[in-house]
Amino acid sequence: MKALVRLALVVCLCVANLVASAPAPAPLNQGEELARVEGSTGRYGGHLVVGQRSEPKTLNPATATDAISHEVIGRLHSDLIEINRATQKTEPGLAKSWKTSPDGRTFTLKLRKGIRFSDGQPFDADDVIFSFTVYLDEAINSPQRDLLIIDDKAPTIKKLDPYTVQFSLPHPYAAAERLFDGFPILPRHILEKSYRDGKFVQAWPVNTPPAELVGLGPFRVKQYWPGQRIVLERNPYYWKTDHDNRRLPYLDELVFLFVGSEDAQVMRFEAGETDLINRLSSENYALLSKEQLQHRSQLSDLGPSLEYNFLVFNQNDLSGKKLEQISRKQAWFQDLKFRQAVSAAVDRDSIVKLVYGTRGTPLWGNVGPGNKAWVNASLPHPQRSVETARQLLKSASFTWDASGQLLDRTGQVVEFSLVTSSSNAQRMKMATLLQDDLSQIGMKVNVVPLDFRALIDRVFQSFDYEAAIMGLGGGDADPNPEMNVWLSNGSSHLWHLNEAQPATTWEREIDQLMNEQMVTLDYHKRKKLYDRVQQIVSEQVPFIFLATPNILTGAKSEIGNFQPALLDHYTLWNADQLFLRNAESAGAR
Amino acid sequence: MRNKRRIRYLLVALAVSHLVVVFAGFIAPCDAKQQDRSLPYAPPTRMHFVGASGFHFRPFVFASLADADGYREDRTREYPVHFFVKGSSYAVFGMIKSDVHLFGVDAPARFMLLGADAFGRDEFSRLLWGGQISLAAGLLATLITLTTAAVIGTVSGFHGGWVDEALMGVSELFLSLPWLYFLLGVRAFLPLHVSPTGTFFLLIGVIGLIGWARPARLVRGVVLSARNRNYVSAARGFGASDLYLLRTHILPATFSVLLTQAAMLVPLYVAAEATLSFFGLGVSEPVPSWGNMLAALQHYSVLVSYDWLLAPAAALVVTSVMYGMLADALDS
Amino acid sequence: MKYLARRAIRAFALLIAVSVLCFLFTEMAPGSFFDEMRLNPQISPETISNLRSRYGLDQPLVERYGHWLLAVAHGDLGYSIAYNAPVAPLLWTRALNTLLLTTTAMVLTWLIGVPLGVWTATWRGKWLDRIVETGNSLLISIPEIVIALGLLAWAVRSRAVPIGGMISLSHDDLSGWGKLRDVLQHLLLPTAILVLAGVSIVVRHVRASVGEVLDAPFVRAGRGLGIGQVRLLFRHVLPVAASPGITLFGFSIASLLSGSLLVEVTTGWPGLGPLLLEATFARDLYLVIGGIIFSAVFLLAGNFIADLLLMASDPRIRTGGVNAE
Repeated sequence: MKALVRLALVVCLCVANLVASAPAPAPLNQGEELARVEGSTGRYGGHLVVGQRSEPKTLNPATATDAISHEVIGRLHSDLIEINRATQKTEPGLAKSWKTSPDGRTFTLKLRKGIRFSDGQPFDADDVIFSFTVYLDEAINSPQRDLLIIDDKAPTIKKLDPYTVQFSLPHPYAAAERLFDGFPILPRHILEKSYRDGKFVQAWPVNTPPAELVGLGPFRVKQYWPGQRIVLERNPYYWKTDHDNRRLPYLDELVFLFVGSEDAQVMRFEAGETDLINRLSSENYALLSKEQLQHRSQLSDLGPSLEYNFLVFNQNDLSGKKLEQISRKQAWFQDLKFRQAVSAAVDRDSIVKLVYGTRGTPLWGNVGPGNKAWVNASLPHPQRSVETARQLLKSASFTWDASGQLLDRTGQVVEFSLVTSSSNAQRMKMATLLQDDLSQIGMKVNVVPLDFRALIDRVFQSFDYEAAIMGLGGGDADPNPEMNVWLSNGSSHLWHLNEAQPATTWEREIDQLMNEQMVTLDYHKRKKLYDRVQQIVSEQVPFIFLATPNILTGAKSEIGNFQPALLDHYTLWNADQLFLRNAESAGAR
Repeated sequence: MRNKRRIRYLLVALAVSHLVVVFAGFIAPCDAKQQDRSLPYAPPTRMHFVGASGFHFRPFVFASLADADGYREDRTREYPVHFFVKGSSYAVFGMIKSDVHLFGVDAPARFMLLGADAFGRDEFSRLLWGGQISLAAGLLATLITLTTAAVIGTVSGFHGGWVDEALMGVSELFLSLPWLYFLLGVRAFLPLHVSPTGTFFLLIGVIGLIGWARPARLVRGVVLSARNRNYVSAARGFGASDLYLLRTHILPATFSVLLTQAAMLVPLYVAAEATLSFFGLGVSEPVPSWGNMLAALQHYSVLVSYDWLLAPAAALVVTSVMYGMLADALDS
Repeated sequence: MKYLARRAIRAFALLIAVSVLCFLFTEMAPGSFFDEMRLNPQISPETISNLRSRYGLDQPLVERYGHWLLAVAHGDLGYSIAYNAPVAPLLWTRALNTLLLTTTAMVLTWLIGVPLGVWTATWRGKWLDRIVETGNSLLISIPEIVIALGLLAWAVRSRAVPIGGMISLSHDDLSGWGKLRDVLQHLLLPTAILVLAGVSIVVRHVRASVGEVLDAPFVRAGRGLGIGQVRLLFRHVLPVAASPGITLFGFSIASLLSGSLLVEVTTGWPGLGPLLLEATFARDLYLVIGGIIFSAVFLLAGNFIADLLLMASDPRIRTGGVNAE
């Protein structure tokens, strides 16, 4: 009962002192080295509401592991060098310029002078040194740390003067400047104490008092309601201006509403309670398209995403595990002709049509047409052919019995289970389609939906599966983040994890090619190497590539500068530039 | 008298609906797994009587054509509905093999009484086939749950003392455990692929295990108050045995509670399969069940766009209402 | 007194058993919180195993349980891996929201259910009863998820009520009454779902048990003796018919924290449901276990209240009293 009384109090009492209008942008200072951005100039004011599937778990950039936390954190902080999501190219961030040494190992970054954190404190090289000390600290175990470690060696960072820092890499690393996007610069004056006390890992939970959450991003935290929403307000000291030298961001407030599911995101958007949807499924896109006019929204189909969905057969080394059933079937999975036959029998066009409602693209390789800089356009795109599949199986001494069931050379019935994540409706549908496709060449496929983490456990730990539908990619367009997928000893080399020695000659060749492209600085040379990797992969089909969805987003039409992109943070990457065309009225809330 | 007539009607209706499900192979125009990839989410096929050449006694349909916003009828050719046509083969009771179907139309037209699902599969056929597993599992699981509940609740309430204390403690334990977590664990201990028969018993087992505690407590409450009524004490005073007391005074008092619970549990259990499917414990694709058909409705876009996919929910409600009314009529 | 002590011991034993089984279940379930990171090719397995050991996930089960018990003894429920924060405060804010929703729904359900049940029972077999009963049968057979999604779809289209959350964006700017109204408006949809799903069961049980007692010989005798209908109902029928209702009422209390999971998730109510569901799938062990313990306490309290009420309604029921032994 006491709980209820307290609750009633919370509900009834005004929290009025928390209500204050958003701070006005600070006047520009003489010594401030601000960044001027392109794009149409907007109007100040108003708030933008975004529906999120769940709430952020932490606001600590060095410990956050989930995409939803990063979506919020990304708006609170800035990086030294930024990847412009629209052009997919790097741009000056907190570093106004940088120089690479001819051997590609040393980066000298010039920082912007005179800019301030969201609490008005100045920013300089000490903040950068502090941030990277944190990210590289083994005790913190930040997920970002692995990005900086190349061949087990960490880069060294030196402060040359208060506005110049130098990074030295142990090896040359292609496109190393892209790495800086993803390392938010932390305020030393706020976090140093907790770091010294060894309490950094616990720092900045979601319910931290807003005054302590200081950053260099376009927004700062105003208020957090557990389980409901987090309200960000304008950072008055933000370091970017628009074309007319007016300080960004335009929006007074950016509100993240925690709605629970993708369907809830759509409902809230449809009901007009939210202004923007980050990613839509094709069904929901179609649903909103029908009502587009009525609700005056701008829906955009950006074309194929960078992620790739594929079918993978378990080729892991199962010795020492009690999985005789599966290791017997590995004779098929390791047979190239078997995999090619499966690939030939898959009806990719149906996947695009029935799973993505035609808003998707069939795939025959790991790099899709969305990644224009890296796709190998010369790879063949064979049409589905049951006939070819049967030929391939016949030449690998498979036979069919009277009922049309496929048998291997020992007379065993070809039957396997296909696991996939039950929370991913698209992959579940793919499984049902594959099952039907493969039954046409006599394979019996049993679809087993599994909870996401149970699936990961089987694929990465216990190896207790036969075939799986998975998806990868979607981060950056560059090949380097994918190293561990293609290196034979990689931890994401899904068909055969962590091989001690390359199991096949073609995997050995991929190892060489990938390692070479990593240290090659010239784009054209790298492209050639990576083209060859794509070619080998499509010939050897360790993954049977299926399809990629289009990136579909939506926003109310009154949002200006809405420029969704193929890369992560699809819609909010330029939140500092978004504005409301009718800002005056919206500003009144 | 009127009640008797009502019971008779209900029994006939239930018998008919169950026979329809048992003879799904014959009544359904096609196999439940057959996909028609040109017709995803096709609406129910309309039956026509009046065509280009006037009125026909034999109804006919048109083929469906996909267009920009859905489907339209291809009016160029009429496809009359035929009865007792040959089609996909099936078996009734797993023994009687046949390939004769009650009705059908010539290809390429399709006669989809309740439209199609996401894969262009005939919803009507899936509804009938799906009823086989769902109804059997739902009813059987309810029966098991309620029997367990009746036994435990009666023993607990009638015996009292430490037995009551212990049994109710166990029921509280069962009511408070994190069953979703348990399901994750159970899945890990099962082989990768569980056969449909295995799934069937798994469903019944899991549901029965989880469900008994609530009704058991209800039964116990009733037994507790019945045991102490004056006439029961009086009968005991006259030397009536426990068994006699149970049979004549106490068990009858629990009937209405059990029947009410049954009315609630059958639909609950059929729908629960949608949850179990999420953990890989339900009837898996492409085999239909009302539970996994209902799962499609959990997507908002499906729920508001394709009314005909509500058919399994309607079937579930109608069957449950019939059982509920029968139980009610039997009670009075 | 002795009875109370016995109940207390039972409650304690139960909580221990629940916690042990929770730990066993979490051990059985495959996968761990950090598994999601395995899909990211840029994160090394070493980082993941280091993170696991930071949270003690690599320790044997018994040891983890011991640590947890120690923490509980210090009035703490452990540490959430996802939120990187103690579990108890996380649960507490959400539990309050859940209680607001469920107590409102419970009060309404019983205020509607009991009179309707008694009323239809006295009219048993008449056309009015038939109508209510048919409607009720329909309602009882519609799975809760279908009710929830149906109402939600209606709300989205009609825009008559807010469709999610607990307060609107302008909540802070409202006056005291405005705030109350705002919360009540947001309560409308989830409460409606809970009441619709729950009221039919109450009506059914009340109608059945009252109807049964109305048919009993002593009531007919009472009627023969000329006792008025109202007096008969309240003095003689209801007390005897109360038992299933009371047990059911106990369930209502017992499920105050756990019974609204589905509704909270579908309508985005910021209660325990969405938090615990997400935690279950994310394998945020201690958050799940903390939530289960929270709900178990409510369950025990609910059942205890039900037993007390059972005794109060019928003084002859005394545990350890009349016994068949």
